[in-house]
Amino acid sequence: MAAPTLDTTRSRQGAIARPHPPGSRRRAPDHLAWLAPLLAMATLFFLWPLINVIRLAFTNSTLLRDDYSYTLSTFGQALTDPSLPGVLVTTVIFVGASVAGQLVLGLLIALIIQRAISRKLRGAVLVRSVVLSAWVMPGILIGVIWQIVLNEGPFGLVNSALASVGLAPVSWLSDTKLAVLSVVVANIWRGTAFTMLLLYAALLTVNPDLYDAAKVDGARKLRTLWHVTLPQIRPVLLVNTVLITIATLNTFDMVLALTGGGPAQATEVLALHTYNAVFVNFNLAGGCVLALFLLLASLLLTAFYSRVLPEEQR
Amino acid sequence: MQVPFLTLAGGCRRAALAIVIGGVLAVAIGACGGGDDLVTIDRVGRAEAPKTLTVQLNASYSPQASTPEAAAGFKKLFTAWAKRHPEWRLDLNIIGGTMTTAEQARLLQKAKVGQAPDCANVDSFTIPLFIEQGVLKPVEKYFTKQQVADLFPYVRKVITGPDGHIYAWWWSTDLRVLYRRTDLVPRAPRTWAELIAAAKAAEKKDPKVDGYLFNGGRWEATTFDNLGYFWSQGGKLLDPRGAPIFAEGANRTDMLNVFKFLRSAVTSGISPSRVTTFNTYDEFSTAAQAGTVATFLGGSFQWPTMQSLLPKDEFKKWAVSELPGPRPGETATGTGGWSMAAFSKDPAKVAACMDIVKSIYAGPGNTVTGELPTSRRLFDNLKAFQAPIFKTFRRFLRDAEPRPGLSIYPSLSNELQIAIGRVLTGSATPEEALQSAGDRVEQTYQLLTGT
Repeated sequence: MAAPTLDTTRSRQGAIARPHPPGSRRRAPDHLAWLAPLLAMATLFFLWPLINVIRLAFTNSTLLRDDYSYTLSTFGQALTDPSLPGVLVTTVIFVGASVAGQLVLGLLIALIIQRAISRKLRGAVLVRSVVLSAWVMPGILIGVIWQIVLNEGPFGLVNSALASVGLAPVSWLSDTKLAVLSVVVANIWRGTAFTMLLLYAALLTVNPDLYDAAKVDGARKLRTLWHVTLPQIRPVLLVNTVLITIATLNTFDMVLALTGGGPAQATEVLALHTYNAVFVNFNLAGGCVLALFLLLASLLLTAFYSRVLPEEQR
Repeated sequence: MQVPFLTLAGGCRRAALAIVIGGVLAVAIGACGGGDDLVTIDRVGRAEAPKTLTVQLNASYSPQASTPEAAAGFKKLFTAWAKRHPEWRLDLNIIGGTMTTAEQARLLQKAKVGQAPDCANVDSFTIPLFIEQGVLKPVEKYFTKQQVADLFPYVRKVITGPDGHIYAWWWSTDLRVLYRRTDLVPRAPRTWAELIAAAKAAEKKDPKVDGYLFNGGRWEATTFDNLGYFWSQGGKLLDPRGAPIFAEGANRTDMLNVFKFLRSAVTSGISPSRVTTFNTYDEFSTAAQAGTVATFLGGSFQWPTMQSLLPKDEFKKWAVSELPGPRPGETATGTGGWSMAAFSKDPAKVAACMDIVKSIYAGPGNTVTGELPTSRRLFDNLKAFQAPIFKTFRRFLRDAEPRPGLSIYPSLSNELQIAIGRVLTGSATPEEALQSAGDRVEQTYQLLTGT
């Protein structure tokens, strides 16, 4: 059997061409065949629903009537809804604070676990398991758990703890500002494990020689973290940021169970507002307009991710 | 590179893992009906039964009810039904306590595209909406004329379609009442002013109690419970055509009176600001159990719960009265409850669904849950409802009003929940909150009716 010859001619980009068997014709890979299953799935489960959402946003359709007509007025109504600015502000605070909190805590826990394992300390597995347990719980359950924890009655866990050390009870869920903070804390608790998992895996890929070099150069821990660790895990950090931002943007189950969007509309985020538009007001078209806002926000974040991510990681 | 904590090494760890997985599987198989039990977490009847009926139930009306007595009661009833009908297997879809009202819109959607369960719990006030959408099957032939005639008039009215057919069987009803601890509030307050004064006096007598608790969070009961105060003044939510009028003319004044009363309950200190977080009636019974509430606006269905939760001596202190009004003698209350309806086109399945209603819910289910029957005959004959308190509830039902079962109601309720929340938190004046709610409901009404 003849050995394959190595074609060492360089392509226009300068890369060395791959070897191919003698006599075989070089063909462009069949991209379409390779992509067909993906395209079929994406069309069926993403593109088709998306096209329908866009189409319905330009109608006056409701969940109750089968007939509808095409109109631009639904956009006008959705955009001039007096409650929308408040909902958007709440959403920005909820998403921004949740993402920041999950990143900081997730990174911190990942670093602690990495350090614990490198020092062969016991309990690292336990810490990981405890953190991960929050991630696998359904959002509704997390809402109910935090409702018990933050209940402002005499039986609420946090207020009971405060009372035991002589502190006054706190209006965790009835104060309009604190309620937003409470929802953010619950969401951070829920999502930190995902960040921890990704960043821990990323930390393991960092070349230990870089830490040794930093040590030789006399870098302290914080400088090492800033100049060595974070740049090394930057791609994962960015992907993680985009993923958790989109996930948080679409969160409504946990908020629904914890506060229902209240008091009044203080914790009504855009995803919950969309849910209410469709399933409470039966306003399918209005819900589709709001869903497009959510999609737009997600697309903008993905575009941002594409720009920020280094070329070689795309 | 391997992530260490995702790998397991060593025979000891593998053995431990095998034991854990085995244990989990054993529990899961048991829970999913691997045994011979006729009632499992998601099934009633034999797994290999030739006929299947998909049934959607509220958790509280199923063997998965949170109170052990109710769970045991329904398990017994379903087991007996399965023994009598060995040819049927019921595939259960259980809806959790906090999601039951929200589930109604999803159920309607599923029904419209032909994916509803064969038989389901339907919130009584949404029955007209389901009838309007043409997704329910007539069920009167499964009941005698006498059984239909025995139903309370408001019940018959709601379950009967414009064509005269009966489309669901409303089997449990309830009403809102004022609960009070008689050692702290001896006399039933007849007016809002009397309630505030009595609650203040109670707080003075026992500083650890809240004078008056009521639903103020983002859920249906916040609107429904407090609507009694609106109706007692003669307020109307909708005009005869179904258009919202609660924020107009005299109705506006009536609703503003309610908002101002609720706000004064918080500002006077008789109600804590945390009422805006309440999204379950359990808040009241838990507070009663802890001895931290003097009066609360609760449901008749809480009486049996309180009876089982509180020590006998403590329970003796509690009494109920009609809701106070702005002036003496003005009282009204909301009545709700749950029905069973059939969505299947298969007559055998509709018949099985109605057999479940008759065998498990209408009568036996009332006894298990303590929720009031909708039939005069059952009210008179069921042993569980012979105590004086149930005669009282039956008397109060005379002033009870069901919610309008029209498509605009969920939106109206949602906007009133927001408005009440804004008033209670002080983030809007009653006038601003009502204006905003009225405008938004009107906009939704125009969308829904295409006007």
